[in-house]
Amino acid sequence: MKRIFKAGIAALGAVVVATSAFAADWTPPGPIKLMIGFKAGGGADTQARLIAEELEARMGWKFIPEQVTGKGGLNLANALKGQPNDGTAIGLVVTETLGYNMAAANAGMTPDDFTGLTTTAGFQMGVVARTDKGWATFDDMIAAAKAGQDVRFGAMSPKLADLAYLLGKAQGVDFNIVNVKGGKGVMNGVNAGDLDVGFMAGIQTKGVAAGDLVNLASALSVPLVQTPEAPTFGDLGVEFSADGYFVFIGPAGMPDDARAALSNAISSVVSDDSTKAGGLIKKAFGGPAAISGDALTELLANDYASAGALLDAASE
Amino acid sequence: MGTFDYILMGIQAVFQGPALFSILGVSISVTLVMIFGGFLTGIAVGATPGLAGPVAMAIALPILISVFGYTPDALLPVMGFLIGIMKGATIGGAVPAILFNTPGTPDAFMTTLDGYPMTKRGKAKKALRVAHFASASGDTFSDIVLIICAPFLALMVEAYLDLPEKTALLILSLSFIATVIGGSAAKGLISTGLGLLAAYIGTGEDFYPRLSMGQPALSQGFPIATAVLGVLIIGAVLKELEDLWRRKRDSGTLPEHRDKGDQRLRGADVRRLLPYIGRSALIGTAIGALPGIGSTLAATLGYTVGKSRYARKKRPDAPEFGQGAAEGIAATEAANSSVSGANLIPVLSLGIPGNAAAVFLILAAESIGGFNPGPSVFRFTTDSVNPELVVAFGLFTAMMIANLLNWTVGGLFMRSMGVMIRIPKHVLLPSVLLLTLTAIYVQETRIEAIWFALGFGVLGYLMRAVAISPLPFVIAFILGGKLEENARQAFAATGGDPWFLFTNPGAAILMAMALAVIILTSRKQKDPA
Repeated sequence: MKRIFKAGIAALGAVVVATSAFAADWTPPGPIKLMIGFKAGGGADTQARLIAEELEARMGWKFIPEQVTGKGGLNLANALKGQPNDGTAIGLVVTETLGYNMAAANAGMTPDDFTGLTTTAGFQMGVVARTDKGWATFDDMIAAAKAGQDVRFGAMSPKLADLAYLLGKAQGVDFNIVNVKGGKGVMNGVNAGDLDVGFMAGIQTKGVAAGDLVNLASALSVPLVQTPEAPTFGDLGVEFSADGYFVFIGPAGMPDDARAALSNAISSVVSDDSTKAGGLIKKAFGGPAAISGDALTELLANDYASAGALLDAASE
Repeated sequence: MGTFDYILMGIQAVFQGPALFSILGVSISVTLVMIFGGFLTGIAVGATPGLAGPVAMAIALPILISVFGYTPDALLPVMGFLIGIMKGATIGGAVPAILFNTPGTPDAFMTTLDGYPMTKRGKAKKALRVAHFASASGDTFSDIVLIICAPFLALMVEAYLDLPEKTALLILSLSFIATVIGGSAAKGLISTGLGLLAAYIGTGEDFYPRLSMGQPALSQGFPIATAVLGVLIIGAVLKELEDLWRRKRDSGTLPEHRDKGDQRLRGADVRRLLPYIGRSALIGTAIGALPGIGSTLAATLGYTVGKSRYARKKRPDAPEFGQGAAEGIAATEAANSSVSGANLIPVLSLGIPGNAAAVFLILAAESIGGFNPGPSVFRFTTDSVNPELVVAFGLFTAMMIANLLNWTVGGLFMRSMGVMIRIPKHVLLPSVLLLTLTAIYVQETRIEAIWFALGFGVLGYLMRAVAISPLPFVIAFILGGKLEENARQAFAATGGDPWFLFTNPGAAILMAMALAVIILTSRKQKDPA
C-alpha cells in the first residue's frame, strides 16, 4: 500500500512540472513573510534563510524571515492560518506538524487549513547507539533488554516516543522512553551516556562513518542510505514509520498560480546543489526531496489520517 | 602524528590559512583579522547595555555564514570571530556596570555593587583597571586550564553525573542562589519562584501551551532576551530614571561624577587583589567546566567567597564590599571571565553548551559542518590526521590570540571608555532603553516581544523598589527550562520512579545540601535579632 502510494507521488510530481508555464508570470504582490518553525541558527533555520536569499537573487522577490517556534510547529501553523493567502505569507515546518502533531493536539486545525507548497528534504531517521555500548545489531540491544538491562530510549517528538513504545511492544521489551529536545539533544544524551539509544534524523551520519555510533535500525519504511543492512521498523513488527520531510506551507486557498510559482521556485533552488541552500541540504539532510502539488496535498492528508491510527495503537 | 604535531598544525591553521591581505610581504590570514574584528565588536557590544555578546553572536552568525559558506575552511574564521565577541563582551560588560550601575551582561550585575560606588567616589578609571586586570587574568587562567584539561575533565564529570544527579544539582544551584544573593532567603525564594513561573509559561512538552490563558501572544512563552534584558536592564533604567527624577526635583541638578585622585593600578594594588582573583578564577573555571551552569553563578560565588575573606582581612578604614571595594570588582570579574574558557570543556568534549555564547559556537560548528563537537574530537589518531582535532587546537590558538589582544588593546579600550561618564544620564538612559528595545526586536522580530520586555522592566523596577534582588529571577528563568527537562528525563530514564531524587545516593546528597543551604541561611539571620 505504502509503496503504491509512493509511486503515485512520483507520477504526480511530473504533473506539477507541466503546470509550471502557467506560474511563470506570477509575482508576489508584496514582500513575502517567511515563518520559520525552528530555532534560529540551526540547520533547518539556515536552510530556510538560504533558500530565501537565493530566491531574492534569482526572482527579485523580497523575503522577511521570522522565527515562530514551539509546540512541534503548531505555533507557526496557528500564526500562518490567519495570514493572507496571496503568497505573501509562507512557513517552513516538518510534515509531522500537519500530521501527527495536529491530530494529537486536537488544536482545531487540519491540513485542509493550509496549502502545501513543496518539501525540500527528507530525514535519514535511524535508531542509533554508541559503538562502545557493545551492540553491533538491533538484536543485541533486544537481548540485553531481555536480560534485564534498563534501556533508555531518546525520542525528540511525541510521535517518535509513540513509535519507540510500539517498537518495544512488538519486540516484547519495555524501553524507558526519554523525551529530549531535538536530534542534537538525543545525540548529546547518547554521547554522554545518559541515554542508551535514540532517534537521530541524519545528525548521526558523521559519527557512524567514524565508527563512534552505530545505526541499529531504520525508523523509515525503507532502509537507511548509510546502513542498508539495518532492519526497518516494518521488519521489526511496527506498522508505522518516522518517514517525514521539511515542508513549505501557506494558508488555505492560495491561488494556483501563486502556489505553483512558489513551489517551483523553491524546488529548483533546493535541487541545485551548486546553490548554498542546495549544498547545505545535500550535506546535512542527504540530498533534496521536492514533492509538491497534488502529490504533496495527498501526502499531508494521508499523514494526518494515519496519525489517528498511530495514536490509537500507542494508547492500547 | 604525535600530540605535538597536532598542536603545531592547529597553530598553522590559524596563521597560514587563506590570506586576506599582506603587510610588508607577510600575509595576514583571514582568521587573525576575524578574531581581531570580533574582539573589538565584542568590547563595543559588551559595553552597550542591551547588546550582550550572545545577541551580537546571534546577529553575526547568519551574516558570517553567508559570507564564508559551508566549507571546513570557514570554521576557524567564523568561530574565531565568535570567540572574539565572547572575550570582548566579557570585559566590555564591566564598563557600563561600573560607570552607570547598568550591567552590560547579566554576569556583570555583581560588578555594579562595588564598581558604581567607586565611580561615585571619583575612582571610575581605577575601577575599570581593576576589572580589566581581573577579567584578563581570569580569562587567561581559564583558557590554560581548558587547553590542558579539555580531553579529560568533562568526560570524567559527565561519567559520574547521571540524569537524577544533574536534576538535583540544578535544584541545589537554585536554592543556593536564592538564599545567598540579596541576603534574605525569603526574598530570594520569591524572586526564584517568580522566575520559574515566568519560565514555565507556554513551555513544556504538551501540545497545549500551558499557563497561557488562551492568549496566542503567550503561547510561545517569553523569549529569554525579553525576560533577561527586561528585568535586568529596563528595570534598572526605570529605577535610575526614578532616582534621577527625585534628585532633580530635590536639587534641580543632575549628578555628575568627576574622576579625582590617583587612578593607576599600583603593584601594591595588584598584590592585594591577586588572592581574590586567584580564588575567583578557580571557582569560575570549576563552574565553567560543569555543563549548564554559567558565568552568573560563578560571579555570585566568586563575589560571596571574596566577601567572606574580605571581612576577615580588610583594613579597618577600607570600604566594605558593596560600598566600593576594588576587591569586590576583582572577585566578580575574575570569576565571570574565567567561566568562558572552561565552558568550552563540555562544549568541545561532549558538545554540551554551558552558556549562551557556547550555544552559538556549537550552532556555528553545526551549520558549517566538518567539526562535530563531541568525544570524537579528542581522538589522537596516529595513522591519519584527525581534522577535527586540528580545528580544536586552531580554536585554542584563536583563544590565546584573543587573550593577547585582551591584555593589550582591551586595556586601552576600557580606559578610553572612562570618557563615557561625561554623557549626561538624561540622554544616556533613554538611549539605553531604545538600544535595548531595538536589540530585543532585532532578536525576536515581533511586537509582543517589546511589550513583554517592558512588562519585565516594570517587574524589575518593582522588585528593586521593595529590595528583592532580580538576579535569582533571571537565573531561575534561564535554568527553569533545563530543570524541567532534566527532571522529566530523569523520571523517564529511571522507569517512572517518582522518588528518583532520593533513591539515587548522589542525587540524595545534593538534595540534602539544597535543603541545608536554605535552613542554615534562615537560621543565621535570626541570630542577630
